[in-house]
Amino acid sequence: MADVTLEHVEKRFGEVLAVRGIDLTVKDQEFVILVGPSGCGKTTTLRMIAGLEEVSGGDIRIGGRSVTYLPPRDRDIAMVFQSYALYPHMTVYRNMAFALQLRRLPKREIDGRVREVADILGLGEHLERKPRQLSGGQRQRVAVGAALCRQAGVLLFDEPLSNLDAKLRVHMRTELKRLHHSVKSTMIYVTHDQVEAMTMGDRIVIMNHGVICQIGTPLEVYDRPATQFVASFIGSPPMNFFNGELATSDGQAAVVLEGGLRLRLARQDLVGSAGRPVVFGIRPEYISLDPNGRPYAVKVPAVIDEVEPLGHDVIVSATCSAGVFQVEIEIYAGVQRLDHIDFWFDMNRAYLFDRETECAI
Amino acid sequence: MRDLTAPALPAEVVTPARSRVKFLERERPLGYALILPAILYLSLFIAYPFIMSIYLSLTDAQAGNERWSFIGLGNYSHVSSYEILANDFVIATFPTEAVARAFVAQRSQGKVVTAPAQGARFRGSFLIADRTIPFLEMENEKDVVFQGETILQDLDWEVRPEAGSYAVVAHAKESPITLGPFATRGALDRMRKEQLLLKADTRVKTNGTGVVQDPNFPLALKNTFKYTFGTEIVKLFIGVPCAMLLNRRFGGRRILRGLIVIPWVIPIAISAQAWLWILDSTYSVINWCLVNWGIITPANIINFRGDKDWAMFSVILVNVWRGFPFTTIVILAGLTAIPDEIIERARVDGASAFQRFIYIISPMVRPILMVSLLFSVIFSFTDFNTIWIITKGGPYDQTQVLSTYAYQIGVNAGYLGRGAAISLFMFPIMAVMVYFMLQFLRREA
Repeated sequence: MADVTLEHVEKRFGEVLAVRGIDLTVKDQEFVILVGPSGCGKTTTLRMIAGLEEVSGGDIRIGGRSVTYLPPRDRDIAMVFQSYALYPHMTVYRNMAFALQLRRLPKREIDGRVREVADILGLGEHLERKPRQLSGGQRQRVAVGAALCRQAGVLLFDEPLSNLDAKLRVHMRTELKRLHHSVKSTMIYVTHDQVEAMTMGDRIVIMNHGVICQIGTPLEVYDRPATQFVASFIGSPPMNFFNGELATSDGQAAVVLEGGLRLRLARQDLVGSAGRPVVFGIRPEYISLDPNGRPYAVKVPAVIDEVEPLGHDVIVSATCSAGVFQVEIEIYAGVQRLDHIDFWFDMNRAYLFDRETECAI
Repeated sequence: MRDLTAPALPAEVVTPARSRVKFLERERPLGYALILPAILYLSLFIAYPFIMSIYLSLTDAQAGNERWSFIGLGNYSHVSSYEILANDFVIATFPTEAVARAFVAQRSQGKVVTAPAQGARFRGSFLIADRTIPFLEMENEKDVVFQGETILQDLDWEVRPEAGSYAVVAHAKESPITLGPFATRGALDRMRKEQLLLKADTRVKTNGTGVVQDPNFPLALKNTFKYTFGTEIVKLFIGVPCAMLLNRRFGGRRILRGLIVIPWVIPIAISAQAWLWILDSTYSVINWCLVNWGIITPANIINFRGDKDWAMFSVILVNVWRGFPFTTIVILAGLTAIPDEIIERARVDGASAFQRFIYIISPMVRPILMVSLLFSVIFSFTDFNTIWIITKGGPYDQTQVLSTYAYQIGVNAGYLGRGAAISLFMFPIMAVMVYFMLQFLRREA
């Protein structure tokens, strides 16, 4: 059992509090992604789990055992670094075998493990090469392989795909996911790329300013973002936000956006809160060119500023009376710059955030 | 649809605009102009002296002489005569020790007699205890008698056990018996094979004006190697820990990194003055400390520059003091080049600090370490300043290295040709060392 528990873990760099007392439980064999913008404390958290960074406060337990003050080698962890951190003077084989040799495992077992992992990762024919003779993707595999050979309870990944080109990144993403199903290790993976987070993880931990904003499955954080930050961070293109105020009309809740646009809300629980300042959010995916018979679609007239074709879809930037927003629609709609068009917001999919606390309402 | 097989549009004909570009815009003349100073410098101050010294080494040039003549390789090797240095003459062998001792006791009544022999030579023999023992044949009868009496009277006669029997051996404690000189190799071989009738240890000594025949030259060569490798090993032993220390994060690290290069940047002519006082025979601060701490008594203070063993120690000490910052800085550069993540991965992999040093840091620093060693060896091997200022090669040539010796012979004594020959001996030795180090570096890369 290699579950990882963080309890009020803190990290202080001089005056700066980089990680502000976070609590997190990663279940055995779970694949958890720490995601957030740069400087949010996700890498520091990972390095504290690895034992590369001293913990300023709180407790870290791996498999029920407190490892807060243990050196990395006694923590039952293996780590894949952003720069791969391969030993340049060692062959691929020795790179993968090094940690096992330090543990004085029998030669035969080391050989078996290295060759097995090399087969899984398709490195079999490169075992005698030096890292500099390999391509970026192959080096990445060696780094992953070296960590897998350890058969550690917890595998830590520190932005391992960020040095790869876009195509290879997509490929490695699937491969790592496949690996997770065959390897019985708990995986904690740090990235700043929300697409990686959404596609790979069992659960996502979204961090900002050293605190955890939300923990949940990819669908949970997409569908029910806990804060405005999570809503803006998850999803591409990002969610559109407009400032506004709650209002009531004809006994139904509505939101009045800056500029006077009044949108009927699909929720009845807010009828009594008229006048409350809110941020209204809607994802580009839920704005369309016709109501499609949706009961809560509302019309928003706008002028198109820019059209960015992506292939099947286009991203349209448009301005309505409340401000600028983005829409993702099919390319065959044939909209053009400066067109005056009525967009339909699906209010069933609208989000409201408190303007003060930025928490979802 | 566009027909992709259609011929492409005719390309615009580009006429080469030769010399259309203004002279000042063209790159080639500028390139030559930029490397001209380097070429001038190299040819004037490196190539010319080097070729000149090769030329000088082939002549009998002497300071003060108006003209000199070509003498070929005479400065490198020129034999004027040979001598045999002989010792440990086996006079006779006996079955028992007692008989041998009895024979030695009879030596005082022994005589040297001569008789004419083959080829107008005289054969000398010892007459001891009724035995006639022939020992030498020479053209001059007096010489035979002189050598015989020296062996009989002046040498120590010892009884040595030898494979089942006992040999009486005449041994010269201080200087061996000299036979010769002989003008030719043939005469030398005749003496060794035909004329010397006793079994003895013989060594050939060549006399001549060439550098190879100079007994001080092998000494200078040996000293050069002692000096070079002595300093390099100590520099590494000090430089590596210093670099590791300076690579750690601590307050004042930058200041310390700056301070450590001071010995390297101070002109040796200035710092050596301080060292002259530190190593002074009377006022040495090292001696003062040792006496005050009760390690030595005032009676046996160390004569750093005057004692033959301490003199080499002293010049090595000064060179190490001066050179270790260079080694430290180069190794430090190598250490800084190791990415943090590699060290962190080694920690996660479970390597202890010692294992990280052995398996990760050392191999990664090795190429740059070899470069530093290469430079440092060249500096030390050709170093003149340190030795000249501290000991001038003394005492009794005990710290004489090739560079100081070349100066001594070439400039101080005025034998320009021979001095040039000595200094040129450094060239092939260095070439071989550099070759092997570069070979090693290439294999690493």
